[in-house]
Amino acid sequence: MTVSTTPAADVRRETPPPEKRRLNLGRPFIYLIALGVAALAIGPVVYVFIGGFRTTADLNANPAGLPDPWVLDNWIAVLTAQRFWGNVLASIFLAVCTTAGVVVAGLMAAYVIARYTFRGRQGLYTLFAAGLMFPLTVAALPLTLMLRTLGLHGTYWGVIIPGIAFALPTTIIILTPFLRAIPEEMEEAAVIDGASRMQFFWRILLPLSKPGLITVGILAFVASWNGYLLPLLVISTGTLPQEWWPLPLGLTQFSTQYSQNTGAVLAYTSLAMIPALVFFLAAEKRIVSGLSGAVKG
Amino acid sequence: MASLTAPGPAETAGPGVLRPPRVRHRNGRTRTWVEVVVFVAPALILFIGFVIVPVVLAAVYSFFNLPAAFSWDMLNAERFVGLDNYTRAFSTPEFRRAITNTFFILFASLLVQGPLAIAIALLLNRRLRGRGVLRLLIFVPYVLAEVIAGLTWKLLLQPNGGVNALLEGLGLGFLQRNWLADPDIALYTIFLILTWKYVGFAILLMLAGLQGVPKELGEAAEIDGASWWQTQRYVTLPLLAPTIRIWAFLSIIGSLQVFDMVWVTVAPTVRQMSTETMATYMVQQGQFAGQPGYGSAIAVILFLISLVIALGYQRLALRRDLAGAVTRGVR
Amino acid sequence: MSRRSIQRTVARIAAAGVVLGALAACGGDSSDTAAPGTGGGDESGTAEDVTLTWWHNATSGPMPEVWAQVAADFEANNPGVTVVQTGYQNEELQRTLIPNALASGDSPDLFQVWPGGEIRDQVANDYLMQLDDMIPDTIASVGATVNPWQVDGATYGIPFTFGIEGFWYNTDLFAEAGIESPPTTLTELNEAVDKLKAIDATPIAVGAGDKWPAAHWWYQFALHSCSPDTLTTAAAEFDFTDPCWIEAGTELEEFIASEPFQEGFLGTPAQTGAGSSAGLIANGQAAMELMGHWNAGVIGGLTPDEQVPPFLGWFPFPAIEGSAGDPNAALGGGDGFGCAKDAPTECADLLAYIMSEEVQSQFAASGSGIPTVTAAQSSLEDPNLKAVADGLSQASFVQLWLDTEYGTTVGNAMNEGIVNLVAGNGTPEDIITRMQDAAATL
Repeated sequence: MTVSTTPAADVRRETPPPEKRRLNLGRPFIYLIALGVAALAIGPVVYVFIGGFRTTADLNANPAGLPDPWVLDNWIAVLTAQRFWGNVLASIFLAVCTTAGVVVAGLMAAYVIARYTFRGRQGLYTLFAAGLMFPLTVAALPLTLMLRTLGLHGTYWGVIIPGIAFALPTTIIILTPFLRAIPEEMEEAAVIDGASRMQFFWRILLPLSKPGLITVGILAFVASWNGYLLPLLVISTGTLPQEWWPLPLGLTQFSTQYSQNTGAVLAYTSLAMIPALVFFLAAEKRIVSGLSGAVKG
Repeated sequence: MASLTAPGPAETAGPGVLRPPRVRHRNGRTRTWVEVVVFVAPALILFIGFVIVPVVLAAVYSFFNLPAAFSWDMLNAERFVGLDNYTRAFSTPEFRRAITNTFFILFASLLVQGPLAIAIALLLNRRLRGRGVLRLLIFVPYVLAEVIAGLTWKLLLQPNGGVNALLEGLGLGFLQRNWLADPDIALYTIFLILTWKYVGFAILLMLAGLQGVPKELGEAAEIDGASWWQTQRYVTLPLLAPTIRIWAFLSIIGSLQVFDMVWVTVAPTVRQMSTETMATYMVQQGQFAGQPGYGSAIAVILFLISLVIALGYQRLALRRDLAGAVTRGVR
Repeated sequence: MSRRSIQRTVARIAAAGVVLGALAACGGDSSDTAAPGTGGGDESGTAEDVTLTWWHNATSGPMPEVWAQVAADFEANNPGVTVVQTGYQNEELQRTLIPNALASGDSPDLFQVWPGGEIRDQVANDYLMQLDDMIPDTIASVGATVNPWQVDGATYGIPFTFGIEGFWYNTDLFAEAGIESPPTTLTELNEAVDKLKAIDATPIAVGAGDKWPAAHWWYQFALHSCSPDTLTTAAAEFDFTDPCWIEAGTELEEFIASEPFQEGFLGTPAQTGAGSSAGLIANGQAAMELMGHWNAGVIGGLTPDEQVPPFLGWFPFPAIEGSAGDPNAALGGGDGFGCAKDAPTECADLLAYIMSEEVQSQFAASGSGIPTVTAAQSSLEDPNLKAVADGLSQASFVQLWLDTEYGTTVGNAMNEGIVNLVAGNGTPEDIITRMQDAAATL
């Protein structure tokens, strides 16, 4: 609600102070619940991973069993397929460009909104805040129609540019309080030292707002990496060959095309999960605090 | 990027020293404006061009009867149909069902996922071995792309898939269903998958919120003889309220947009029969059935519903502390 | 191969298509020389390098390889020409990819062109290259089957395959159930269903999850309930007032009430995986599936050894006794290619090569469908495709798939109505109301 609940603060407070242990008969029960929740959460994921080691015949014969025999064929088939790597590269390209664009454009706007006084400042902030009520889903249809007139339909830019635009409200709303929190005295001190405002921005503000930038960057990356609707409307209906579709799209296409080869679909799905899992689990706290921070403002 | 101690290019340090920074730009009112414009322009142009304009365009298109491939010159009197697309939408059983389904997901999420997440968070809000690992595991479904999660469950929920086999193995064979193909239960199945995907995020959000609840309060209550349940009910929960409100807002906005999950898991026929959401109906009609005018009307309706809910919620629940919400978040 | 290949066929074309194949001899020759031959090579010797993009709907079975080979051969015979061919899922290609690509002005050079409302719209928007002066011999080689790809007498696409829908059935299961000959009337079909149930086989598999396979059932009932005149009038004027349209729905409702389909058919896909309707035929679980001529290839792709099972047979949709419908009417379609308006002229050469007797024979030999160049039909190895070809030649009236015939808007409304009916949630009248309402918005 206030600046103190911005991401960095939340993360710091993570380790609770030592708690007085009271005798609790429910303790094993708690562990049981925890175990159950964890099992439910990752059970399907584990199933898919293990399924990747099974032959399709094995899967059909005994859908819930362990691999018998264990085979690596599915993984090899997917990992040597050009389309898998094409999909990965496309997703990386989209996510990196979107993230970079969001961070740069968002930071610039947030900087001005946070630290300049000018007429229309509040209006500008309200405008971007209102953007949170224009979810991508609502605009997706007319957006694709518009992209066609702009010649962006069927191109990566047709996904990246709207991706940036729709991530801006969150970004600006998270970054503005961050930038505002940096004390005025610091800026004055810099000015006394002869720094221009731009220099202050580059030399002081930027390094100080790094945690916030990382948070918004991760959020933008997540949204782009996992995005399906926009690529569905923009890329899948364009001229790009399937080998260069982003992962979610490529995965759905692969699973229809090779549906009779369940083992390979499971291996493909598993591999498609890995980058997201590794990257985003590392950033779990930032994502949670970032999303709640966005609402709190 | 000159060094910090180097003098600014056109600026003399002199006057600035004596004045507060904002007034410092006395000589450069225009200069400030240039900076403002240059810095805001990229974001503003992108935002207006790719967020606002499409929504406005949707409103325009929605008054026309347009073929799949249309051009600007088709926005003429001949194709102008007034509110026909809207009246058609509300008189179409499929769309009415899409609204009902969307609101089912919305309310079911609030009523099931919320209490579930709070309960689990309360239980887990203590020192546990492996707490960090647990947090990560709980977060797994959330970080997966909805498409990946959807395809995973689609495979698991085949008639001869893992879930039915597991039920059989547990001696619960009578519970076996054709989960995603039976129109009578497909919507509930979808809701369960959405719950699986998003309740973990809710739990973590609640846990983070509980971190902000001072332990001393609970201890004090216990010393006064309150039971664990009373402590939670009268001390912890009220303090958790802001977190719950934030989660609820994210959940509502997310529920209104459910698309990927339904689109990839359910066969088109079953979707039409029982799991169509406003978003899938909009894409189906506007894009794949080649009726951009009609689809745009659906988009506008969806937008207005989101707007009313967001504004209403802002006024009622979050009041001043809501700056908005993340557009693509939890359900 | 293609799943809802389409064709607008007038009554007389069907039989004529085979007969007119007499032209194919000369047609085949000329296209052989026109396409990969020296002509193209000489021209492009001085011309700049040309890249042709080619979109087709072959994503499984033998066809992706056939087209890849065609592209490679064409490149080899035409130095300087590069052919980039891509197969897309049929629905996506037809409903989305091509319309959008054309609308955006960023279209492929050679691509699938569907007859009916689509080709009419595309010609009206000036998206397609007129082929009459470019490759006249090729056009002649396919005889009257090209008519659906003509608008106002000018040719904008050429079908490379042409077929009709019928029942693909398991001859072993039929024998086991004691069904002596394939049903020729609806009554006999009902009897066959009962007999198959008696031996615990799924009588009929339908991929109703994908909407269109369910819709085709209603098309067939309409086709065999309504007279050819009624059908022709409906296509031209969206006039669905004849009571036969309601009858079709009522008959279908009654038929479904006898529970001929597999369990959970509303969620069954048509062609993906062992659990699909084609998969149920492939692994011998179901006895019949109503599907287009391409189905042998799909079924073959879903068996463990990826071979068309030996038990597969074909028979046409049976007659409905006492109706106005023509008992020999057939519902069908074909797949054709056309060139974009501004495509390089090499596009027409590539098309001519695809239609050459050589490639058509390869196509026929692959078992993916019935070639349109009659001379190539002798290369049909698959007895099932031969049966379809025979069925086609015996059809006295051929109707294009109804959804294509009526165009996206009416077709979509129709299919939605049918899906409701099939799911037990709609009425025969509702289908007609939806179609009329949709037609009114045009």
